[in-house]
Amino acid sequence: MEEDEFIGEKTFQRYCAEFIKHSQQIGDSWEWRPSKDCSDGYMCKIHFQIKNGSVMSHLGASTHGQTCLPMEEAFELPLDDCEVIETAAASEVIKYEYHVLYSCSYQVPVLYFRASFLDGRPLTLKDIWEGVHECYKTRLLQGPWDTITQQEHPILGQPFFVLHPCKTNEFMTPVLKNSQKINKNVNYITSWLSIVGPVVGLNLPLSYAKATSQDERNVN
Amino acid sequence: MTDDKDVLRDVWFGRIPTCFTLCQDEITEREAEPYYLLLPRVSYLTLVTDKVKKHFQKVMRQEDISEIWFEYEGTPLKWHYPIGLLFDLLASSSALPWNITVHFKSFPEKDLLHCPSKDAIEAHFMSCMKEADALKHKSQVINEMQKKDHKQLWMGLQNDRFDQFWAINRKLMDYPAEENGFRYIPFRIYQTTTERPFIQKLFRPVAADGQLHTLGDLLKEVCPSAIDPEDGEKKNQVMIHGIEPMLETPLQWLSEHLSYPDNFLHISIIPQPTD
Repeated sequence: MEEDEFIGEKTFQRYCAEFIKHSQQIGDSWEWRPSKDCSDGYMCKIHFQIKNGSVMSHLGASTHGQTCLPMEEAFELPLDDCEVIETAAASEVIKYEYHVLYSCSYQVPVLYFRASFLDGRPLTLKDIWEGVHECYKTRLLQGPWDTITQQEHPILGQPFFVLHPCKTNEFMTPVLKNSQKINKNVNYITSWLSIVGPVVGLNLPLSYAKATSQDERNVN
Repeated sequence: MTDDKDVLRDVWFGRIPTCFTLCQDEITEREAEPYYLLLPRVSYLTLVTDKVKKHFQKVMRQEDISEIWFEYEGTPLKWHYPIGLLFDLLASSSALPWNITVHFKSFPEKDLLHCPSKDAIEAHFMSCMKEADALKHKSQVINEMQKKDHKQLWMGLQNDRFDQFWAINRKLMDYPAEENGFRYIPFRIYQTTTERPFIQKLFRPVAADGQLHTLGDLLKEVCPSAIDPEDGEKKNQVMIHGIEPMLETPLQWLSEHLSYPDNFLHISIIPQPTD
């Protein structure tokens, strides 16, 4: 039944709860934010990245591990270990905010994000594009509805950048079908975020994938 | 006797008399006269204000001009909301004309989306239409259309061509003969009293027993605070296109006849005026 490609809102919230549970275990800073009337909410993560002098640390898949560090760690490392400390004036630090919301129209999760300097100046769409890895740019530019646009956050009412959700099912269906075939439980949010996140600088440690199968083993 | 089709024309051709005044903080080389314009309720501010922009830019220096934005009584106006929605929500209880202030500097980054070009408006408009069809028809109707049909919808709106627009849009208002309506109704409910910009939920036009859901049914389910107590005073107005439809109106009918060109019902809940 085609309904399997889509997830209902309650299912979305359950997957988010599991995701956040693992996030807490590994010190990744995802949290759930309920809306004011508490009828719904979203997952949120904030991380800071230091602009490396005049060259932006590349967002997207990094072959050398994480290019971004939790704020506290970045300033505690000895100078040799952190190539960017010499240019770490406040204006060079960028705050990235990622929100995972549920779209009832498309019945899929949607990734909203925004970035600003510490003084509040927002990054422009041009700045954001400059940070997208080359390998993702071509794919994103292929269709008007596969791209990054500025939109109003449906719960906060503020401008955010969004990866358009209408093609989500195209790439999620094979993932879900395959997991059914090998009889493995998959956290939809983990799979989805591992696909869309890297495009906009959000990487997931591998332990998230192992977490789901771990839970499955514990249950059995 | 008014035909249902006449309602479509009345909605499309609705206008709001507006007076645009340049913000006093803007630097001008000579005095800027206010500019009067009838705004189409169903369109978008940045799509219909080229003349306003030109008028004020004539008295300003190029270096003092950056992205235009509009404000009403201190509230930045979201260009991506239809004009009629903005008016009903923010100014319908005030006397006409609608007094809008024009700005060319200090763009409020935290409140407004940028509108870099007409293409941005088209992208936004088509995105809304696509979302509405996802709700009504699981995107089947809009995805079956050719690119030229999508273009025709946009050109119809941009050039104020009712027939051109509806030649295509009528396909989006169809539904299978065996059903009694759309799968879900595309709607958004706006109130200025909440932080949340709007309420949007899945809601079917037909109940399990086959009865058509009404506007009142929708409000009771997704926004119960909007419904006034039966014996109490009327606290709120439920407004679409400047009118208050009866709460007994079937939602399916409202969706087919009172939607905006983006195929959404944009509903304002505003306090009952006390005059």
